[in-house]
Amino acid sequence: MAGPNFTVEQYRRRQRLWNLLESRYVVHLVLFLAVFFIVSPLIWQLLTSFKTQQGVLELTYLPTEPTLAAYERALIDRGFWRAVVNSVLIATASTVIVMILGTPAGYVFSRFRFPFDNAVFVFVLFTRLFPPIGLVTPYYRIVTTFGLLNTKTGIVIANVYLWLPLVIYIMRNFFITIPQALDEAARVDGCTKVQAFRYVVFPVVLPGFAAGTILTFLYSWREFLFAFTVSTDLNSMTIPVATFLFVGDAGIDWAAMAAAAIVAVIPSALVVVFFQRYIVVGLTGGLKG
Amino acid sequence: MSDTDHTTDGAAPTADEDRALSLELDGITKEYTEDDGSTVVAVDDVSLDVYEGEFIVLVGPSGCGKTTTLRIVAGLEQPTRGSLRIGGEDVAGREPRERDIAMVFQNYALYPHKTVRGNIAFPLKIRKYPDDEIETRVQDTADLLGIGELLDRHPADLSGGQQQRVALGRAIVRDPAVFLFDEPLSNLDAKLRIQMRTELNKLHDRVGRTSVYVTHDQVEAMTLSDRVVVMNDGTVQQVARPKTVYQQPANRFVAGFIGEPPMNFFPVTTSPEGDRLRVDADGFSLVLPPEITDTVAAWDGDTDRLELGIRPEAFEDAALVERSLAAGETFPAYVAVVEPMGPNTDLALRPDNRADDEAAEFTARVANETDAAAGETIEIAVDTTEIHLFDPETGENILA
Repeated sequence: MAGPNFTVEQYRRRQRLWNLLESRYVVHLVLFLAVFFIVSPLIWQLLTSFKTQQGVLELTYLPTEPTLAAYERALIDRGFWRAVVNSVLIATASTVIVMILGTPAGYVFSRFRFPFDNAVFVFVLFTRLFPPIGLVTPYYRIVTTFGLLNTKTGIVIANVYLWLPLVIYIMRNFFITIPQALDEAARVDGCTKVQAFRYVVFPVVLPGFAAGTILTFLYSWREFLFAFTVSTDLNSMTIPVATFLFVGDAGIDWAAMAAAAIVAVIPSALVVVFFQRYIVVGLTGGLKG
Repeated sequence: MSDTDHTTDGAAPTADEDRALSLELDGITKEYTEDDGSTVVAVDDVSLDVYEGEFIVLVGPSGCGKTTTLRIVAGLEQPTRGSLRIGGEDVAGREPRERDIAMVFQNYALYPHKTVRGNIAFPLKIRKYPDDEIETRVQDTADLLGIGELLDRHPADLSGGQQQRVALGRAIVRDPAVFLFDEPLSNLDAKLRIQMRTELNKLHDRVGRTSVYVTHDQVEAMTLSDRVVVMNDGTVQQVARPKTVYQQPANRFVAGFIGEPPMNFFPVTTSPEGDRLRVDADGFSLVLPPEITDTVAAWDGDTDRLELGIRPEAFEDAALVERSLAAGETFPAYVAVVEPMGPNTDLALRPDNRADDEAAEFTARVANETDAAAGETIEIAVDTTEIHLFDPETGENILA
């Protein structure tokens, strides 16, 4: 029904405008623009990585002579394959340690009351609210004091420091969604507290645990600041740091830099493709079904 | 339990004093410290003896401490004071798994990642029963509960009633000494709740284990229990058979809590009328029968001012009463609302002199043949043998 100030014709015209705006062509156009905005740098990088050193400077979008030479220069000639190995080792070790520490901690925060429990939890979160740059200098001093400069251990410790609070928070939120009656039922049914966790609570929280694991791996993989602070050589350097090293070169090898960047992105992309369900769950912090 | 002994029936329902005690609570108290440092007493000096095979229902309004009491028995909470014995053994400090109990939770607490079979088998598996025995027991339990077809499904695929059965199955499969139920029917819809209530009753008859059942639903309390424990504010108000709780409530709280619609209360003054006792409320007077008069006379407290309690069922439309009614048995009442319930009719009445006073309203449940219509004044009769008198200070029932 048209309002008092509308004629039926005006109302219909207005309705047509909205129908057009809400049509799937318009919606898809908007989505396409958003995706294009996000993906275009990646595509540009991918295309560049297949170009020759000369080809980079030519004003074409597609590589004129597609080649994998840039990958060879980055990974083999400059030895950046070692950075890839470092990244895998560091991200894996960081993830394992963070999950082993963070899962029980999250469980405790979700279930048990102890003196200053809220204060401790807020403090844990508080450490994540610091701009990490403010901690780089003391961290550098600590790492130097313990002789961990240029070691993978030094970077793993930084990753654990950075992501443990996040995982404690995420896991606590997952555990909170699991009714406490479940633990209690398990204990009445014959479990110790540890068994109740192992046989009942943990299997139920497994999707959340997977989400925490994947997020920690992704974050550790892409961590730059602390890795850059700790490592100056290929013993400990991670792939983001190695990629950054191209910047200082006299004549930048754009193609090789793009190749290194693509190598850095591949694992993240794979994880996102295969585990997107868990990442969404992890970021939104809720378990369903 | 208070030290006046009218709060208990004394004997167990079968009047078999030789029966073994299955559960003994002695002075159980649970205090919590709030965040602001104040102390909250959730359970206050609760003592209770439960006999082997007895079905005990703890009933009371929410926050009365009934669930906390149950959780203390389960070992999920530790009492601040008091002792607890299960099967004659002091279980202080023992973990729930060491208490030979099973519990059915309000929202069932089924393990979502396990099948029905896995859920029912879990208490046996964790106790390392042999596989073939687990298999037989799970099958027998499932057959008993009529869920044999569902064994390979997951809880999420079951209806509320089926989940409820699985939760029951997980409790009975191990054949524990005591069953604990924490409002197990409150998540079911009304129809299913009545059906499951009947089944629980049958199940208890068959399994015959000591059961402690917590509910806020007085109908469940009345229908399921051998004895009812009425709780309020963390304390036991009365322990008695369902009929006794209804007919001889220990105090004003129990009288008001048990019974639907609830009992009506009137402040009254008393005076002698010949050799009988006369009670005067604002708007009507009743003359009480000799037995009640004697009991009141024997009461050692002040009886000048009392609280009169009349259940809706103790009223009747005077026009429908066949015997002749004496003067002190009826009074005129203004009819505010008529609610036909089918077998009988509920009337919202006001004493005739207070027809405009909504606060004076009380409920009468009369036969459905009544001609009472809203806005009229009728003569309402009271069965004076069914009335209750309470001490206005302590709330104690003088006649119980």
